[in-house]
Amino acid sequence: MIEFIPLAFVILIILATVGLGIWATKRSSTASDFFVASRSVGVGMNASAISGEYLSAASFMGVAGLVMRYGYDTLWYPVCYAAGYLFLLLFIAGPLRRFGAYTIPDFAEGRFDSPFFRKIAVTFVLFIGFFYTMPQMKGAGVVMGEIMNWPYWVGIVVVGAVITFNVAIGGMKGITFVQAFQYWVKLFAISVPIFVLISVFGTYGERMNDNVQNPAGQPQFAETTAMTIKGAAGAPANVLNMKGPASYQIGPDSEFQVDKPSALIQLPNTEIQSLIILPDAALAATGTAFAANSPIISQQPVGVVMDEGKSAKVTFQAASVVSFDTATNVPNAPDNQTWLSPFGNFTNKQGYPLLYTYSLIMALVCGTAGLPHILVRFYTNPDGRAAKRTTFWVMVLIGVFYMFTPVWGTLARAIVPNLYANNRTDAAVISLPTALASPLLGAILSGITSAGAFAAFMSTFSGLLVSMSGAVAHDIYGRIFRPKSSPESRLVAFKVATVFIGAVSIGLGLLVEQFDIAKMVGWAFAIGAASYFPLLLLGSWWRGLTMPGAATGMLVGGFASVGTIVTVMIIDKSGQAGVVPPLARVLMEQPAIWAVPLSIILMITISKITKAKVPADVDLKMLRLHAPEEMGISKNYIEH
Amino acid sequence: METRLEHDVHLHPNHQRRLAQSVMRRQLSLSLKIGAVFLVMLFGLPLVNYFLPELANTPVLGFTATWLFLAVLFYPVTWLLSWVFILQSNKIETEITASLQHESATQRASDSNEGGKA
Repeated sequence: MIEFIPLAFVILIILATVGLGIWATKRSSTASDFFVASRSVGVGMNASAISGEYLSAASFMGVAGLVMRYGYDTLWYPVCYAAGYLFLLLFIAGPLRRFGAYTIPDFAEGRFDSPFFRKIAVTFVLFIGFFYTMPQMKGAGVVMGEIMNWPYWVGIVVVGAVITFNVAIGGMKGITFVQAFQYWVKLFAISVPIFVLISVFGTYGERMNDNVQNPAGQPQFAETTAMTIKGAAGAPANVLNMKGPASYQIGPDSEFQVDKPSALIQLPNTEIQSLIILPDAALAATGTAFAANSPIISQQPVGVVMDEGKSAKVTFQAASVVSFDTATNVPNAPDNQTWLSPFGNFTNKQGYPLLYTYSLIMALVCGTAGLPHILVRFYTNPDGRAAKRTTFWVMVLIGVFYMFTPVWGTLARAIVPNLYANNRTDAAVISLPTALASPLLGAILSGITSAGAFAAFMSTFSGLLVSMSGAVAHDIYGRIFRPKSSPESRLVAFKVATVFIGAVSIGLGLLVEQFDIAKMVGWAFAIGAASYFPLLLLGSWWRGLTMPGAATGMLVGGFASVGTIVTVMIIDKSGQAGVVPPLARVLMEQPAIWAVPLSIILMITISKITKAKVPADVDLKMLRLHAPEEMGISKNYIEH
Repeated sequence: METRLEHDVHLHPNHQRRLAQSVMRRQLSLSLKIGAVFLVMLFGLPLVNYFLPELANTPVLGFTATWLFLAVLFYPVTWLLSWVFILQSNKIETEITASLQHESATQRASDSNEGGKA
């Protein structure tokens, strides 16, 4: 019975979400309700809803997983996810609300009086949106895999379908209430269980201190632990980076290779007889040793013993069970010093740690201001002052949430280090509670975090779906194809677009199982940082910006980021990680440091060249962006 | 082209431009000041970590100093910065509105005086 407790929590949160959505929809009637909730949402409700929408699977599961896996370097993720709002507040939130448009494409068109520019802006709503949905989908697959042992794809299809249905019937009004509710679910789920876990497993400071006091130490298996390691199809998750002392058995029925020569590895004689070495191996087919990187296929278990200080990389061609003995160092886990200190395995993998760190910070901070599904929420504030107050409360709400995430990562490193071995660190928040001595309590707490994770990807995916479907219905259908269409037919278009985009998102989610959730979100931020952020920043503050300038900067910056990131994804997926030189690899994996300045410089240069295209009423536009409402210059772009 | 505002203010394009520039300059200088504090913090910490690793790794309450700062203390500092910004920014906007209303009242007074003379 106990194993169904987490599922019960998940079903409960899904029912609450759908139920609240339906309840709220009954109160939503006009098209304006549907798209921006009639601009009538209060500061408290709006701040909760923005936070609820923003705290995605990346925040709920991904950050804890990244901190567990890499340590200090990844603290930048939660910090910049939160601090990005300060940038938004300082430069963008107020002006954007005052300008009075529904969406970024509205801003793009209104600022330059250019329907053409709207089309370009819409493209990026879809680009950023799809990049952001992929990690949400992975979150769904991982949680259902953890709690129900469902295959990865089942969770994605079920969750994707439920949310798509909910958005198609509810629109924006429906999800405002739902998302505000979901913020509080998430805060509860990330905070309450951790206090119970701390009372059992020790405080944040104590577990951190373990690392501080013993820099050379590394997590070890507390008891004999067997697990399945993925085969080549799961690359790069098919690798065990072993560090001695270690003793473990591979197989039965295994196919793998080892990167270090045989001297490191002793094979017990009893099992040697069944060890088959392929013809192209550098060594004889018998004996107690084999050569580096020669494929090994065995029907019998292969025992491996490694002395202290030795290390080896074992790569699996076919999925295989590996059983680790007690006190074996956990593979793929960084040692305490590396984990604890800045510039560890995350930012220093290619040898340019400062460059990597700065580029990551830029992507996250600037990218927050470039997320289409978040910016649209600022239009639901009654005025610019309310928009600023809302931003402040969002910073408090998400900051409190993010303070808890590294606690999970730190405790998970100490208590459930086996997650390192088979690349399941993204499941840390689901898995850690099950380590409690009481299976019932463990199942309940794990149920709570599973519900929190569901709230996370449901709310973010809903928001993205509304933005993307809104872009398609409102911008592409309503303004480009059928400018004279009635509000009713746009509603139908919205619903059709929702179903279509939901289906595409599910398909994309199936492709990204081996990528870290929070890392994927970082990529969505990098694209936003190099496209929308420069547009909004310069568009709000520089009267000289022209449409050709803005369009060039956005297209080049945005597509250059998409291009390099997709290239990195393809390279990693095909297992060819070594082909790119380290510096190029850093700049491709974290493009913000060159893409954001490139985009801004292009915008300025091209605008200077095309000076004649500065809109004639640009001063009025600047006043609409910046003058206090009391002066009566602001107006809603779309009256209702 | 003229724009009709509340309080019967007619803005000539030149006036529009002057007004837009003065409103923006005051708001932008506030944003830049607070943004500078934030950026120094954000981009300074990696430099401290890189060049002064011993300072960064000083043990504090079981944590290292840099972990404690980044994972815990950073958030309240950003809240403080944003609170200061909102107070200052609202003050600026109130002043702008007040000075404009004052200007428009003076304008109206002089309009009606001229009307009397004619």
